[in-house]
Amino acid sequence: MSSLIPLVEKEVKDLLRDPRIYIGLIVPVVIMPIIGFTMSAATHSSIESAVGGGVKVAVLDLDKTQTSLSFLKFANTTGLKVFEVKVDTVKEALKELKGNDAKILIVIPKGFESKISSLEGSTVALYFEVKSVGFGEMSAFLAVDRVVKLYSKTLSDTIISSIKPGINPTVVRTPLNTTSYTVIHDRILSMPPEAVFGQLFMGYGIMVPVVLMIVSIMVAQIAATATAVENEEKTLETLLTLPVSRYEILIAKVIGSTVVAVLGTLFSMLGFALYFRILFPLQEISGSAHLGTTALPAPTPQMYLALCLSLLIAIFFTTSLGVIVGALSSDVRISNSLIGAVIIPIMIPAFLIMYGDVRSLPLALQALVYALPVSYPMIIAKNMILSELPVEAVYGIPYSAGVTLLLLLLTSRLLVPEKLLLLQHKILTRRMRRKGQVSEK
Amino acid sequence: MVKLFGSVRALDELSFQVEEGEVYGLIGPNGAGKTTTLRILATLLLPTKGVVKVFGFDVVSQASEVRQIIAYLAEEAGAYRNLTGYEYLSIIARIYFKSKRRAREAVDWAVEASSLGDRIQDKVKNYSKGMKSRLQVARVFMARPRLAILDEPTAGLDVIHANYIRRLIRDYVRKHGTTVILSSHNMLEVEYICNRVSLINRGRVVAEGSPKDLKTMWEASNLEEVFVKVVGV
Repeated sequence: MSSLIPLVEKEVKDLLRDPRIYIGLIVPVVIMPIIGFTMSAATHSSIESAVGGGVKVAVLDLDKTQTSLSFLKFANTTGLKVFEVKVDTVKEALKELKGNDAKILIVIPKGFESKISSLEGSTVALYFEVKSVGFGEMSAFLAVDRVVKLYSKTLSDTIISSIKPGINPTVVRTPLNTTSYTVIHDRILSMPPEAVFGQLFMGYGIMVPVVLMIVSIMVAQIAATATAVENEEKTLETLLTLPVSRYEILIAKVIGSTVVAVLGTLFSMLGFALYFRILFPLQEISGSAHLGTTALPAPTPQMYLALCLSLLIAIFFTTSLGVIVGALSSDVRISNSLIGAVIIPIMIPAFLIMYGDVRSLPLALQALVYALPVSYPMIIAKNMILSELPVEAVYGIPYSAGVTLLLLLLTSRLLVPEKLLLLQHKILTRRMRRKGQVSEK
Repeated sequence: MVKLFGSVRALDELSFQVEEGEVYGLIGPNGAGKTTTLRILATLLLPTKGVVKVFGFDVVSQASEVRQIIAYLAEEAGAYRNLTGYEYLSIIARIYFKSKRRAREAVDWAVEASSLGDRIQDKVKNYSKGMKSRLQVARVFMARPRLAILDEPTAGLDVIHANYIRRLIRDYVRKHGTTVILSSHNMLEVEYICNRVSLINRGRVVAEGSPKDLKTMWEASNLEEVFVKVVGV
């Protein structure tokens, strides 16, 4: 295996210096933060223009009582720019919006004060005129809605206190509360299950499939392109006459492609991380709940090992497929058009696992899912915080290793020009026939 | 040997023997079977019928032994575009020679033989066709093969580069006694560097001998005339 080092060096250097590869590696790191920054800036400016300096709100007060006036005063103190329209109907009031550069109309109905006083409850109507689509529009509406709800709470506090002085109004409003706990491995966590699922989903449900997807497609694409280029440049012909085994040539290609694909994945993940980092303050502005980072029970080392092992096997499996596609392609264009058709269908069962229950699938589909090595990282990721390796993975990892080894052996057997030339010619002829350009050969 | 590609008979009981230290030329028109013959010798293709031996090793059953003693140059073979000429030679040398010192000496020799000077540190994608050919021929002889198989080593080159390659082959063989089998369209080139030649047409050897003997036998002034007379075109 002493020839493996120069062969791997050749693969890695040739790939990393290829502009098609290194530009592909750098692009996510540069583009994702730019997209994040642009989206963040655009959203901020949109919100700023909608709510900055106060949201302009028209009010049609059909009640004209002390309580309705008090509501208007309250709204003014919260930063809204409230102005009253002196008309009699909602239709006329909506027309007034246009002339006053406002989008929101609050209609206080007749009997507003009396219904509140008699504890019947009253309904304030909010009209929102859509003038464009964007974050800013919604933020303006939410700001007004919040003010109305806040005033409702203030009113309820006053009413409850007047009925029974000294009582806590909050207790009256919500007499029944819940505290949620999540139990994992007999360990009680003081956090609701949705928070746990949120963290797990982001961690293992999103990250593992995303990593697997990026690495698998990238590694297969790189291996296919590298091998097709060897065909195109006739370097494979030279390589196959050197005193090295076909297996060494294949392993070098698999290792080289994997190294570059892992680098590419790291760059992509860095790009995504920067993108989310830049967009993160936006979540706080829009008021979405930030899930705490309460520590979940850490997966066992065996689970990590199983996940890494299954990921590595899945990567080797897709790399071998890439080499096969590349070897069968007489040029890079053919390999690029074939690789997607091979890799994407293989990834579909893996996603079935992530978003559904494999055991509830029809038997044929279950067999397909369990037959592919790329399924096992998903199965393990889904069960990551459980103490024991799922039974499918216990048998699946050695099975995948066997399948991948077999595929590698078959691929190395394919690296014989006798077979390659024949298969390449068949593929080329079939493609030309499909395009209506029947080969003259 | 016989080689069939489907229903096409690429080689039709073609047979020849090359002596050690000889420069043996295969000449003939396109599709005559020259490249197929060389690919079989280089263990890339399998003969459909017949036995092919290189220094006693069978190219089918002892292919890995054959690969230890040959170096092959495909027609218009490329090198890795993103490696420098030096890196390319170094990687190939490390595959042939297990000792670092021997590999380094081999690379130094090849750098000198290619006459690429400082351009050896440029990436191969920046080389002209002639420079690539010089690099490839230097790569072949750098391996110190017992048999060098060269498929159209000067195809498409200008006079200066073609002449350089011819001299490189001739000088190396004179100095090291390496056996060379090459193919060419260029009959004058074959006459210049080959001890013996085979004229191939439609997968068969139609004439064989030294250029001088062939010219005498067919009363021709050069090999081109010999070929025309033999084939009868």
